[in-house]
Amino acid sequence: MAERDKRDVILQVKDLNVSFRTYGGIVRAVRGVTFDLRRGETVAIVGESGSGKSVTIKAIMGILPSNATIESGEILYGGMDLTKLTEEEFHNIRGKRIGLIFQDPLSALNPIMKVGNQIMEALILSQKMSKKAARQRALELMEAVGIPDVERRFNQYPFQFSGGMRQRIVIAIALAGDPEILICDEPTTALDVTVQARILELINKIKEERHLSVIFITHDLGVVATMADRVNVMYAGKIVETGTSEEVFFEPAHPYTWALLSSMPDLETKERLFSIPGTPPNMISPPPGDAFSVRNRYALRIDFEKEPPLFKITDTHYAATWLLHPKAPRVEMPEALKTRIERMRRRAVGNE
Amino acid sequence: MIVDRNNLPEDIRDLPESCFEIVGSEDISDEPFKTEAIGFFKDAIYRLRKNKLSVIAFWLITAVIISAIIVPHLTGYSPTAQNLAYRNLPPKIPGLEKLGIADGTRILTNRPKASLSEFPEGSIIQIVREYKASNVDMVDVKVDYYKFVGVPEGEYHWMGTDYLGRDLCTRLFLGARISLLIAFFAVVANIIIGVVYGACAGYYGGRVDMILTHFAEILDGLPYLVVTILFMLLFGSGMFSIVLALTVTGWIGTARLVRAQFYRFKGREYVLAARTLGVRDRALIFRHILPNAIGPVITRAMISIPGAIFSESFLAYIGLGIKPPNPSIGVLLSDGQRVLLQYPYQTVFPAVLISVLMVSFNLFANGLRDALDPTQRGEI
Amino acid sequence: MLKYTLRRWGAMMLTMFIIMSLSFWIIRLMPQSIFENPEVAPEIQRLLEAEMHLDKPMWVQYYYFLRGIITERDFGRSVKLRPGMEVFKVIVSRIKPSMVLNFFSLILAIPAGIILGTIAALQRNKWPDNLISFLVVIFISVPSFVFGAVLQYLFTFKFPIFPTLYNASASSFREMFRSLTLPIIALALGPAATIARYLRGELIETLNSEFLLLARTKGLTRTQAVVRHAFRNSLVPIANTMIPMITGIMGGSLVIERIFAVPGMGGQLVESIVVGDHFLTVALLIWYSAISLITIFIVDISYGLIDPRIRIGGEK
Repeated sequence: MAERDKRDVILQVKDLNVSFRTYGGIVRAVRGVTFDLRRGETVAIVGESGSGKSVTIKAIMGILPSNATIESGEILYGGMDLTKLTEEEFHNIRGKRIGLIFQDPLSALNPIMKVGNQIMEALILSQKMSKKAARQRALELMEAVGIPDVERRFNQYPFQFSGGMRQRIVIAIALAGDPEILICDEPTTALDVTVQARILELINKIKEERHLSVIFITHDLGVVATMADRVNVMYAGKIVETGTSEEVFFEPAHPYTWALLSSMPDLETKERLFSIPGTPPNMISPPPGDAFSVRNRYALRIDFEKEPPLFKITDTHYAATWLLHPKAPRVEMPEALKTRIERMRRRAVGNE
Repeated sequence: MIVDRNNLPEDIRDLPESCFEIVGSEDISDEPFKTEAIGFFKDAIYRLRKNKLSVIAFWLITAVIISAIIVPHLTGYSPTAQNLAYRNLPPKIPGLEKLGIADGTRILTNRPKASLSEFPEGSIIQIVREYKASNVDMVDVKVDYYKFVGVPEGEYHWMGTDYLGRDLCTRLFLGARISLLIAFFAVVANIIIGVVYGACAGYYGGRVDMILTHFAEILDGLPYLVVTILFMLLFGSGMFSIVLALTVTGWIGTARLVRAQFYRFKGREYVLAARTLGVRDRALIFRHILPNAIGPVITRAMISIPGAIFSESFLAYIGLGIKPPNPSIGVLLSDGQRVLLQYPYQTVFPAVLISVLMVSFNLFANGLRDALDPTQRGEI
Repeated sequence: MLKYTLRRWGAMMLTMFIIMSLSFWIIRLMPQSIFENPEVAPEIQRLLEAEMHLDKPMWVQYYYFLRGIITERDFGRSVKLRPGMEVFKVIVSRIKPSMVLNFFSLILAIPAGIILGTIAALQRNKWPDNLISFLVVIFISVPSFVFGAVLQYLFTFKFPIFPTLYNASASSFREMFRSLTLPIIALALGPAATIARYLRGELIETLNSEFLLLARTKGLTRTQAVVRHAFRNSLVPIANTMIPMITGIMGGSLVIERIFAVPGMGGQLVESIVVGDHFLTVALLIWYSAISLITIFIVDISYGLIDPRIRIGGEK
């Protein structure tokens, strides 16, 4: 997309299409997703549940369930197309090159295995480290993710840890193979609010220390603001808006992004919290045109007939909505949202 | 597809103005469900009917129950009257006899050839083998056994007779009736006790719950068989005793289940709301909480029926079952076992019946469990 | 772990005590009590009176009964089957075939069930799974004594491969074992099917679990992930099925022993019930309880060893 950014692209997803065979029919979960990740940056993918964001990262990790198929598209990494790799070849990618942090740390950890062993396991089995070295490394990792009293904690089981501590263990496991890309799949959703902030801080810290590139999946725009350099907004299996954090937050162009921003809880808003009306479309037979049109109060006639292309707004900012067509009526974002964005902008400036 | 706004491809640039009219409305409501809402039981029955094995099982069970009710009256034989002259008659069924199955014949082995002349007229069908043993001509001979022992023409025993000359078909279905009744009463008793006990423990909680639960746990620790046998010794044999013995520890599972359901639901808002409105304990239990436990309880009842049938026949086998001369499936199996190698049909019929019943009840119960519990998955 | 073990041990002892007490009161309350039974020979009556302290009040007799069992393994005397013989000796003479039968059924059932369950889970909804599921329903539903009869008829009469009955005069263990093959199979079918059914369900669930996904995302191969994570985790709930299974096998062996004329404790129990030799019955029941409780205790402890949540939490 943008030639201006000189930081090299480390991972590239090109026109990815993934569908699921289910009893109800073929579910087209991801429809032509394209984005790239550059070295050292954090890219966020934002969307409601069922928007296809988790499926996208499962495709990247090569852990799609067996009833899913990659219909077309490429995932380019290190000169390879990950969609074409065999299971064996993938072992050298997973953990060692790309690490993954899960949403629910309790179900992600094996309940009957000591956490230390769970960290060491991959080091011993797939990196052929000696037991002693692996233990040493596991202890270092546990310290690095902020677990106190590591020697004792090493021999404990997941149920003896709190939610936040468990997520730290999951992060340590993801870091064990020393990957260069870290994918975070809603890493704070299952945690208490107070713990969330600390885990996010930790992810930012290790990202800096280890020069990681991060793909951050969330439905929470508030989290995105503190984490991401660039944001992709997904709806119904497509990226509907992409841009730098500032662009997407301060100059959103797609009505869905407006709706998302309006529904974000914030301390100052006095009026009733906005919720996006309607339900996400059925992905077995996605509607023609813009999938968001039925829930969009600014929907144009063409939205129901033809899919909008990604209109370029700036070199980094694109949005798929017919509202950006020169012939479209000028539609402003809702007044309430404008004041909200103004507030955010002032706060952002104030923080700097 | 990415497009530049200042340099649009033709097909996009030339879209007519009319396309760009705002048609979205302010009030977009959640899409209403297009399908008709169906109730819990309707849904359960629908899902149950989609499970073909369960449907077959259901009809098999129904067929056995109906047979158990009417067959003993249709055969025209008394289930208990002995006729030692007609002992161990092979099965003979009108219609099928012409096909060579269930034709009332039997091969008699090691008979002196000379004795053939004493056989009743027309009873010999075929000499299967001739040989000499200690210089005496011996034969194996296939006979119409009914004629051989002098059963009047036109009398049929569809499943043959037992070692006391009683009609096996009559006894088998009467036995099925008794076994099913025992299972039914035992399960009903267990469910009632279990529900009341579990409801008390779950609803009142605290110390009541602790005492009740500990008591149930201790009882549950006793080996089931040992307890059942001990109580059978105490009560003596008979239908009522079996039901009692099966109830001594049989209710614990249900009680545990109901208690767990109570713990889950008694803290829910709607129950608290009802309580603040002054609804009395009994109404809370029976109207607001218990209905939630009905699904699992029904499933459990279904699953325990084959268990009770098994226990009954097991007790019969070890000599603690139904009092003779009354039959039960277990009594018949146990009697048949003694002559298994000589007269296998006496084991085959009750064995097939008990197997069909057990398999059907298990399959039906599985289907029912899946139908009543949408979260159940992947179970066989 | 120590606390957990002690608690299990305490529970076992309590259960044992209850069974002994129940036994005592039930023989005394039974309608066909041996104590006022004209069929019992007078000399044995007198022997009983002397040994059981019949002139003392009930609770004193209860005390002597318990003390006899605990301190001197004195379960009373056989009244009818082996008149006058000490019940304990009768039992000892019967233990071996029963143990062989029960033990080998278990040894056969566990691996068979694990293999079948694993195949079914890994081949989910394909023909091996369907076949196994079908067999599982049959084996779980049909009582072991029906299988016993079928096997006996087929393999000793129609196709005489095995001896019909237990070979009591067998000169070698091998020969004895051969005559026990059919009863062992008959007893093992049900438990094997139970294990297969549970393991299949558990494995399918674990195979879909997030920690298996994590195991793969950290770079383990599919096989490593399944063996190290799915399999061991699925075995934990299987331990739960072990207890009903063991008691099931022991119960089934009562009847199977009778069908195949195995001179074990089961056959003896049935005989003693039929003729009304109550001391023998009770002693055999107590023994049965003891053996099954000890096995359950062992299962409980190993359960604690596999699952740290139980061991450390101390709760079940």
